[in-house]
Amino acid sequence: MPPSVMPTSIARTGTRVMTLHANAAKSAVAVPKKTATRRWRLASWAPVIVLVLLCAVIAAINPNFLSFGNFVRIAQAAMIPLVLGLGATFIILMGSIDLSLEGVLTLSAVILSMLVLNGANANDLGLLAIPIVLLVGAGVGFVNGTIHVRLKVPSFMVTLGTWFIGVGVANALIGGTAIRINDKLVRALAIARDPVIGFPWGVWLALLCFLIALVIQNYTRLGRYIYALGGGEDLAALSGIPAARVRIMAFTLAGVFYAVGGILAAAQLGLGNSQIGLGRLFTTITAVVVGGTALSGGQGGVHQTLIGVLIVVVLSNGMVLMGIPPSVQIGVQGLMIIVAVALSMDRKMMRIVK
Amino acid sequence: MAALSESIGIDRIRQYLPVATLVVLVIAVGVAQPAFLEPSTLLQLAADTAVLFILATGVTFVIMLGGIDLSLQSMASLSSVVVALTIARLGYGSFVLAVAIGAVAGLLAGLAHVRFRIPSFIATLAMGGVLFSAALVISHEQSITLGEAERAYQVWITGSVAGVPNVVLVGLVVLIVAHLLQSRTPFGRYSAAIGAGEPAAYASGVKVDRQKVIAYVLSASFAALAGVILAGRLSSGSPTLAAELLLPSIAAVVVGGTAITGGVGSIWRTLVGALIISVVRIGMTFLGVNIFAQNIVFGAVLIIAVAITIDRSKIPIVK
Repeated sequence: MPPSVMPTSIARTGTRVMTLHANAAKSAVAVPKKTATRRWRLASWAPVIVLVLLCAVIAAINPNFLSFGNFVRIAQAAMIPLVLGLGATFIILMGSIDLSLEGVLTLSAVILSMLVLNGANANDLGLLAIPIVLLVGAGVGFVNGTIHVRLKVPSFMVTLGTWFIGVGVANALIGGTAIRINDKLVRALAIARDPVIGFPWGVWLALLCFLIALVIQNYTRLGRYIYALGGGEDLAALSGIPAARVRIMAFTLAGVFYAVGGILAAAQLGLGNSQIGLGRLFTTITAVVVGGTALSGGQGGVHQTLIGVLIVVVLSNGMVLMGIPPSVQIGVQGLMIIVAVALSMDRKMMRIVK
Repeated sequence: MAALSESIGIDRIRQYLPVATLVVLVIAVGVAQPAFLEPSTLLQLAADTAVLFILATGVTFVIMLGGIDLSLQSMASLSSVVVALTIARLGYGSFVLAVAIGAVAGLLAGLAHVRFRIPSFIATLAMGGVLFSAALVISHEQSITLGEAERAYQVWITGSVAGVPNVVLVGLVVLIVAHLLQSRTPFGRYSAAIGAGEPAAYASGVKVDRQKVIAYVLSASFAALAGVILAGRLSSGSPTLAAELLLPSIAAVVVGGTAITGGVGSIWRTLVGALIISVVRIGMTFLGVNIFAQNIVFGAVLIIAVAITIDRSKIPIVK
């Protein structure tokens, strides 16, 4: 028998044995397996169902919700959380966490505002500033990943540190003030609308980022390795996946997405200051978790995060339409995190939770 | 054998590293600025450290178990708002109310953590959001300044006895209570056991979940007490009053030598850590480092301290 045939024949025999076995056990084995699959499918659709119900309820209370203007408002509110959520999703898929998001975003926004035509110095790099800012984001992410992997420090501790370092550096750069962005092209990134549908360009940019993230997640080695690490790192490492390199690359990638978020935030507000990142970590983690990506890693993905972002944004949009003050929304998001995590955790798998 | 004794030697040095760091820092700042070593300045330093120390003490209980509390700054801010809003009506009762709210918040966070098996950093992050939101709503997003009549209730915070600020005395009481809790009660011993090895503690009959909930209740209560004291020292309450204190508090615990993996640590170490953070802050102010940029140093100190103190044998896979 030629060696190339062997695996196939073994596989075939294996299948046959399994079929026979299943036939012998009949319904006893087959039925629970089927319901388990169905339940799993239902669970992964739950965020979509929640989103649809949410839209229906809000539209019933206030028909203005369905106006085109409101759609634009929702898209505009969702673009930055989406970009941030894409980065965070890759980290959470590995079972890690990245708290440095606000730090990277603030630093990126401030550096962008200092490099383009602005009210504080003579720089005028225009769109050339964008790759520089992306490099800064990648750099911070790389540092996060390297310290985390090489010094074996838990990711939440490293990124808690770099969160405040990022904000601190941003503060040191601008000295507690704000820098106005006068570059029209950069501002247009987030504000100007496309001539066909009428969405701001920033929304399309965010969707482009989403597509890139989707491709990385589903069609590249890095994306598949990230899933493998989240599913079980010891097994993944044993089967030859370069775990350390994958982790560092994932953190670097996340840093780039946060930098895009920073560029969009600065372009939207027309300035860079040290408070620009405030509260964004919270919204982002809510969105990722509500979308159904499990904190334990290995389950979920950027497509789930898109739904999660929409749930969070639609809910706060609905609350605004109903006249509920924004300060309540933070509390609601906090409760959403607890409920979503409590529902998504596969608690049988883990006895020790820290 | 040689390797063994060597590792013990390193551990012993490691144990005294925080105290040595503190002494070196005090001497360094003292040489640069001799006025720093005068008793009145040192007492002022102690008074300024009190709030940080109380926050750090609370979170020490949680870190000993191997958990973390990211809601302490929101809890302290909420408690300052509660005091500012109710002190005119309730008098001293407002302080009790604030700490009681803290205990309840800690209980809820702890229960969410152990019942729903939500990782502690996410449960407390979420609880922090709820508390921050509550503080924003009840304060109408404004800072509340206290008047003369209300400040009379806060003399136990703002006054001084024989030249020693009352805050320092409050800090000492907290130190003694927390130390007794940690070293003389079943809770203290159990939490060290859980931090050192949760499966073993569970197997030997420790009610792990109950100890964890107690730790979160203590952490939030101490944070609320810190908020009460902060409200007294600043004569105001605001939903962002303690916003900048999360990082220094956790840094104080870790710099003092309590391992983030749990099991190793004490309140004394946290005291040393809090003093180190305070001296570093004063040193930076003296050197003219921008107050906002000081976070760069604290962030770096946090990462370095964790990298030094962490027990890597306990975490085969670092996530």
